[in-house]
Amino acid sequence: MKRIAIFGYSVMSLEAMSRLNQEQCSIVFIGKDDAEAALVAEKGFETKVIDFRNDDDLRSIGIGADVDTLFCFYPRDFDNVFLTISARAIDKDITIVAIVDDPESAEKLLAAGANKIIDPYEICGRKTHEMLTKPDITNILDNTVFGRHDLKMAQIEIPKGSCLENTNTSELKLNEQHNLILIGVVDRELGDQLHFAIREKEHCLDAGDVLVVMGPAREIKAFKKQVEQVENGEFKSD
Amino acid sequence: MLTQLIVYFAYFLKTSRRYQSAKLFFYNLLENPNSRLKSYFDIFMICLVMLSVFLLIYEVDNKLSESEVLFEHCVISLFILEYLLRGWVYSDNHKIILEHYEKAKYLNVPFPLTKVAGIMLGKKINYIFSPLALIDLLAILPSYRPLRILRVFLIFRLFKLFRYFNSIKLFANVIASRRFELVTLGLFLGFLVFVATTGIYLFEKPANGGQVKNLFDAFYWAIVTVATVGYGDITPQTTGGRIVAMALILIGLGVLSFLVSIIVAAFNEEMDELRESSTYAELHRFDSFIIICGFGRVGQHIAAQLKKDRLHFVIIDNKEANVLKAKRLGYLVIHEDASKNGVIQNAGINKGATAVICTTGDDVINVYITLTSRHLNPDIRIISRANRQNNVKKLYQAGASNVIQPFEIAGMVVAEYIGQPVAFEAVLGIIREESHVIMETLCVHPGSFIEGMNIAGIDLEQRKLMLLGIISANPAHQKHKNSYPIKNQHFYFNPESHFVLRDGDLLVVMGREYAIDYFRDQIEKSRLKKGRKR
Repeated sequence: MKRIAIFGYSVMSLEAMSRLNQEQCSIVFIGKDDAEAALVAEKGFETKVIDFRNDDDLRSIGIGADVDTLFCFYPRDFDNVFLTISARAIDKDITIVAIVDDPESAEKLLAAGANKIIDPYEICGRKTHEMLTKPDITNILDNTVFGRHDLKMAQIEIPKGSCLENTNTSELKLNEQHNLILIGVVDRELGDQLHFAIREKEHCLDAGDVLVVMGPAREIKAFKKQVEQVENGEFKSD
Repeated sequence: MLTQLIVYFAYFLKTSRRYQSAKLFFYNLLENPNSRLKSYFDIFMICLVMLSVFLLIYEVDNKLSESEVLFEHCVISLFILEYLLRGWVYSDNHKIILEHYEKAKYLNVPFPLTKVAGIMLGKKINYIFSPLALIDLLAILPSYRPLRILRVFLIFRLFKLFRYFNSIKLFANVIASRRFELVTLGLFLGFLVFVATTGIYLFEKPANGGQVKNLFDAFYWAIVTVATVGYGDITPQTTGGRIVAMALILIGLGVLSFLVSIIVAAFNEEMDELRESSTYAELHRFDSFIIICGFGRVGQHIAAQLKKDRLHFVIIDNKEANVLKAKRLGYLVIHEDASKNGVIQNAGINKGATAVICTTGDDVINVYITLTSRHLNPDIRIISRANRQNNVKKLYQAGASNVIQPFEIAGMVVAEYIGQPVAFEAVLGIIREESHVIMETLCVHPGSFIEGMNIAGIDLEQRKLMLLGIISANPAHQKHKNSYPIKNQHFYFNPESHFVLRDGDLLVVMGREYAIDYFRDQIEKSRLKKGRKR
């Protein structure tokens, strides 16, 4: 289970916390003071209050130990840069996602060791643009990938010994058998990029490959179970 | 009988589509300030006028060859044609006739033929005596051989340029706006020159040892001196004359600097307005454009994206810094408060605008702009930004078509990035058209070959396309499973192979851009073919 530490109280951090699947990851919110922590705790999240400028405090919440991902959601860029630098110094492999207020700070955050930079204004601008130019597509995606509808997009990794090992993508027929649409495949033999399933090339699935599928949540769940269950040879069809 | 014939002819002109379209064409070519055709025509005429004037200068010392004479004839014919066409476009005679005829018929009185003829003639005479038409005429007349004496008027051709240069017109307007100051200064200058002329004439008579022989000499000296030119061909010799000269030079300096300052101030004041009006003029030339209210961080990103798509847009912002930034980037911008009715109206909310985007950082202002825009145009698309969750509902109430929440979206993006990085990057790549594969909607047009076909029949696999689903408002589809309500339509995810396509359905497909374009072309072509057969 992934452990995610979220720094900084804002609309964005609340939204991100509510969207993260609590079955798949454990979230801890790090507040500046007790009032902030109490507000988040009300929503049912684990909270802690530390001074992020102190490395020992950072270690005490599990950075360098069990925390895999860090969200830097402070409104001021220099706080985020400082937190990123401190966390990266403690743990080389931690995933750091930071928001940026001034676009010029993006480079600094990357230099400080952040893995992903999020510019809320840019995302909002892009979103508005998408709504203008492709309203239908945006509507669907809003209701599926980004929405709270039942329709979801998900990625499924094929484990070792899965029944899908050595299967060709054209034989999957997910749309007929599982009511899912195969969007693409990451074929590890060919690298890490996603190949869209538009019948251009046949991919033979091996362990470690990733399928990106779209469909109703329960069908995705069932399919996932089926793909992952076969490890001990008990393949059950539903 | 004659009256009837005239009225019949007027009706004929009114209903003749060819006549109307020809007149509209020439109006757009010659007079419509918003037409692109006019600007091309203006450039062409400017070149022609310049060429013909160069030819005139060349003619002073050289004899023209045959081809050059032919060119001169062509130019003159074109000028005459333009003059006549402008006269034709100036007023609509058939409208005047019909208006009076209908009035006469209603009042049951005879049709006043002579009066109407008088009105029609009056309108055309108005045209002939309008300043620009007079210049046109004077540019043509001297070419007529018996009137060769008027050759000096050929220079009037240069004045024709007034017609084609908008900036010259603007300059004239600015000068005209300072009429009062300029007239006052002119009167003062006239008085000064008069006093100096009389003074110098009295002091500098040859009898007193001076050089001023007559009143014209005195006037000439006064003008040369007041303008601080001072050629020195006539110089005051007497003490009285020198005192007049000194006074005139000092006052002349003051008057000149005053004149310059009036003109500069007028330009400064009018410049913003002029710039704004040129923005409006440019805007009205576009068939469709988007209004962006607020050029903050979000507005800037949207503008950059729209520019990439080569879509037209105008920015309205009342913050000086934002306006300057937009200008520096070369965008069309209006420095005004977008919450005022007049501003959005002038920007063209009912004249070509397809969408309004409210992206100011203040929800209160966004609600107000949304409400104003919805009130002015009930059908326009309004996309509004909400900075706080509890204002989303208010924005929808105010009439927004879509509401965007920057921080919520960013939060969502982060969560998706952590949960499903591959899926998420794929989706982002598709929407942003960064990857070679895109997602598009294809409309099932009535009469196209796919109308009435089932999914299996289209054979999307062969076309290398992936069908995600179908968007439709058609109630006939409601028996199908996997339907998701989206606004007032339904999205049918993963439709079964026997799903029959109806007119107006939208296929949501994924594939390479050219594969999608090719399929779309086929749909369009089949529709046209069927339409022709019918």
